[in-house]
Amino acid sequence: MNRFYIRWGVLMVVFGVIGFLGLARYNREVRTISPEVLLGQKTDSEVRVMGMIEAATLEGGVDGAPFRFSLSKAGTKVPVVFSGDDADILRELKTIVAIGRWQAEKGEFQAAEIALTPNYGFIASAYLLSLVPLVFFLFYMERRVAMLYVMIKEEKVYQAEV
Amino acid sequence: MVATRFIGWLRRYEKWFGITAAVLIAVGLYTALVTSSADYYQGEVVRIMYVHVPFVQTAMFSYFTLFICSIWYLWKREAVVDNACHAAAGLSLFFTAGGLITGSIWGKPTWNAWWVWDPRLTSFAILFLTLIGYLMLRTFLDDKEKGATFCAILAIIGFIDLPIIHFSVEWWRSLHQPLSVSTRGISIASDMMIPLTLMSVGVSILFAYMLMVRTQMLYLEHLLEAKQGRLLSEGAL
Repeated sequence: MNRFYIRWGVLMVVFGVIGFLGLARYNREVRTISPEVLLGQKTDSEVRVMGMIEAATLEGGVDGAPFRFSLSKAGTKVPVVFSGDDADILRELKTIVAIGRWQAEKGEFQAAEIALTPNYGFIASAYLLSLVPLVFFLFYMERRVAMLYVMIKEEKVYQAEV
Repeated sequence: MVATRFIGWLRRYEKWFGITAAVLIAVGLYTALVTSSADYYQGEVVRIMYVHVPFVQTAMFSYFTLFICSIWYLWKREAVVDNACHAAAGLSLFFTAGGLITGSIWGKPTWNAWWVWDPRLTSFAILFLTLIGYLMLRTFLDDKEKGATFCAILAIIGFIDLPIIHFSVEWWRSLHQPLSVSTRGISIASDMMIPLTLMSVGVSILFAYMLMVRTQMLYLEHLLEAKQGRLLSEGAL
């Protein structure tokens, strides 16, 4: 049975490392901050800000002019300028992710890219609800088979008659 | 004698299936969660595809295995084949439930609904109910041999649902997306195709491995029961 537990231990380490790498990618490429956090930090490094495009604030986009809108969440608003041409997902009252840098001197967020909301809770739920029961199910079956072979080998099934 | 040889064969080759499945799923999960790109319209949520599609495909593959084993059982009447049928049904139910759950979770952010009475979803839910019926029938009948025969017939009749599930998106207007891989070509980006293929093949091989383990488990449990005197003789197996 020791080899059985070692094998499962190695498997758990391997899949744990993959989970850790997935989490690291999430923190690096997906995780967002709110407009409130952005205004609090005022960092000039590239960040991902998630919020809703305020009603009646979306303008521009004509003759190559940049899009301008206000991104809000929980009452905090950030003016955003987006110069890209990939503006299919820009709509008022839609929650989006603006990726770019805070321009302190202009007091606006310069977005280089616009992305959809990541909805990562759904992804984590789908993976956990499918793979965790699979692991438990497989572990139970393998352990049961190993025990059955041991029981049959040791002939524990033969009990002396009293 | 056939059973001993069959179980010996399963025990000898199962580890290769287990190792192959573990490697494919590990690489598949790495590419699915770390290196593959997000979808233009769906965004990050597309990553649910890498567990949902393999689970659904494996659910159908496992039911197909149940169908083949059921025909084999009715032809040869080997108890160990009935163990394989029982094992395949349990695993098929597991993967069908997984497919329904992951599909429902994927449906919420993309369709804004956990469930819709779409032909693909409804036919897949019928597969789930068929498998529950199969396992209930197996539990309720005291006569093991009669139960195995009835279950094999039910599994063969239930097989009609498989082509309906597969072609439902072609035959009827459906909210579910059409086939991504068909005779018309492949309508999926290559950097999404790689993790999807790795996961699909990996989970299918994992199913084969689980079938081998579960068949042994059911056979050994019956053997143990027989040896403990609960069954009249090993011949009854």
